[in-house]
Amino acid sequence: MRFNKLLIVIMVVAIAGTAFAVMSNLQVKAQSEDKMVVGHSAGVYRTTGDVLNPEGEDARVNLDEIDPMKYLREFDYGTVSKLEDGTTLREFTIVADDRQVMEVSPGVFYNVWTFNGTVPGPTIRATEGDLVRIHFINNGTKEHTMHFHGIHKAEMDGVFEKVGPGGKFTYEFYAEPFGLHLYHCHVQPLEEHISHGLYGVYIVDPKTPRTDADEMVMVMNGYDTDFDTENNFYTVNGIPFYYMHHPIQIEKDRLVRVYLVNILEFDQINNFHLHGNLFHVYKTGTGLTPDEYTDMITMSQAERSILEFSYKYPGQYMFHAHKTEFAEKGWTGLFQVKE
Amino acid sequence: METVSSARFAASAIIPLVILAGMIAFVLWPGNSILNIGIPLPDVTIERIEFHDRLIVAYIRNTGPETVSIAQADVNDRILPAAIEPSKTIERLAEAKVVIPFDWIAGQPYEVGVTTSDGTRFSKAVAAAAPTPLPDAGQVSLMTLIGTYVGVIPVLIGLLWLPFLKRLSNSSYMFFISFTAGLLIFLGIDALVEANEISVENLAGVFKGPMLIAAVTVVSFLVLVYVSERLVSRTKRQLASSFAIATMIAVGIGLHNLGEGLAIGSAMLIGEVALSTFLIVGFTIHNSTEGLAIVSPLARERPKIIRVIALGLIAGVPAIIGTWIGGFTPSPLASTVFLSVGAGAVFQVVYAIFKFAGKSSEHFRSGNVIAGVSAGMLVMYLTALLI
Repeated sequence: MRFNKLLIVIMVVAIAGTAFAVMSNLQVKAQSEDKMVVGHSAGVYRTTGDVLNPEGEDARVNLDEIDPMKYLREFDYGTVSKLEDGTTLREFTIVADDRQVMEVSPGVFYNVWTFNGTVPGPTIRATEGDLVRIHFINNGTKEHTMHFHGIHKAEMDGVFEKVGPGGKFTYEFYAEPFGLHLYHCHVQPLEEHISHGLYGVYIVDPKTPRTDADEMVMVMNGYDTDFDTENNFYTVNGIPFYYMHHPIQIEKDRLVRVYLVNILEFDQINNFHLHGNLFHVYKTGTGLTPDEYTDMITMSQAERSILEFSYKYPGQYMFHAHKTEFAEKGWTGLFQVKE
Repeated sequence: METVSSARFAASAIIPLVILAGMIAFVLWPGNSILNIGIPLPDVTIERIEFHDRLIVAYIRNTGPETVSIAQADVNDRILPAAIEPSKTIERLAEAKVVIPFDWIAGQPYEVGVTTSDGTRFSKAVAAAAPTPLPDAGQVSLMTLIGTYVGVIPVLIGLLWLPFLKRLSNSSYMFFISFTAGLLIFLGIDALVEANEISVENLAGVFKGPMLIAAVTVVSFLVLVYVSERLVSRTKRQLASSFAIATMIAVGIGLHNLGEGLAIGSAMLIGEVALSTFLIVGFTIHNSTEGLAIVSPLARERPKIIRVIALGLIAGVPAIIGTWIGGFTPSPLASTVFLSVGAGAVFQVVYAIFKFAGKSSEHFRSGNVIAGVSAGMLVMYLTALLI
């Protein structure tokens, strides 16, 4: 009989304990500071907790691996020297790695694979006819290569000559034809090597330079952070929404030239739409006369175009993917047109 | 001699615990990596989603093995500014509230997601957005009204069968008391199915829903068996004994109706139910059989009317309380536990009825009993079709 009573006491205590544990989880600890969350279409909410806002002014991202503002107008012309026959030689050293973890969006960390430590890799720039020599070093844990788009010999194609961990390879080719190209790792599974960030822009200028302009590079990419072959983030130049809180400063009436490359994995297409303006399109940059005058260009992976425009009126103008899903997952930015 | 043996007795209880503690300390010792196998994957469960004035609120729980940090929130997979309370860092099994300012449209489906710091997204869909009832006077009275219609009124109607039952012959009476047992078996199984449904849909895997249901059902059954045996054996008089059984039935049905109220309240909350008059009529017919179950053991007595009404209220009022709990502070864990307790309680009542019937009749396995149980279950099934 006593044992039975004991049993009941134990049961009651166990049930009460469980109930207490459940209820105590529901209690919210009060904090002193009040922060504000402003919605897209509606509503303001004051919170004592944390704010999650990847496109807000206070969004913080570690910019060690990629600084979109620096990347935007940074061109690597290499170490220049002249060969005996008068040809310009441009030498580059590119190091591949696959061990970095980068904050791709505020608070989201992802293992990026990089050329020279950044996503996208450095923008390699040469003039048509130059000899390009790339000293490639693989510092990663997997095989990697550099595959350039453009005209070159088969053994310089970066497909069959895989470079193992710690290995080196020298790519050498003449810069041709002039235009806007790209490079990326070509080791299989290709999808994996590209989606992790092994790509960059390769520009070949015509022998007679294009007109003077405010030149900038835009690479459209994405990150599949949960490995379900669907992108969780879309960006231009590496960080979602970056140019929303850091608008690109340009001048009114000044010609802007955008080298636009799409390297987005998994999705069939990507696109670029400009607000309050239209632009001239030079497809693949291989011609000197525009192919189209529009405010919207659609591309599949590895397609690229040079866009030229200037703004008539000052103010803030948006540019974004006119695939709204991509726009709302990070591929949105602003131009600040100054007088 | 006495102290030595009691010290030994204590030691024999403590030694296994000491060894166990040492073993756990060894495994968890900082720097001990012997058992660190594999990568712990994060797991976040969105337990419920509420729709307020231009706000979507998601209650999330860290159901993974380690502390997680939430990096962002989304609606329909579109990243949006949001607040998270108390903090974006959530410890294991702790809860957080994600508030997203969003101009939602009633009746439309929405999916709410959160992404952890390693980029994994967890989401939950809502079939149709509906304003979450706030516990104001209007909502409380609406819930009370529904609870009264679904629980209290039908049970009280059922009690009116008492004069009819009194006039029955012994064998017909056996049929009706077995009929009651059939009703209750149906209700018990119904509660288990409902609990399982809730645990599958809304309860995180870490709570091991099915085993929680099994444990709670068995424990509540045994506890109630023990309590009712005490209650019945304390008084030898026949009236007290049958009244005790009626009370147990009322309590069991009350627990069942609490579960039913929870289900209705939380269905209203998440917008899954457009509570139609048809549904209420269905519940009313279905639940009036419960009143019959309560008065069956009293058919051979002359109970005071006030007592009978009290029994009806014991059985019916929990439905109102259930709608409040389910409608205002819904928790899948609490719902699962309540329903399981209800199932255990109902099965205990069935056990008590058969024991009671076995005493008063020698034909325990007679055709009347079998027909009664079968008819009870069939009637419940047919009236359940109305819901």
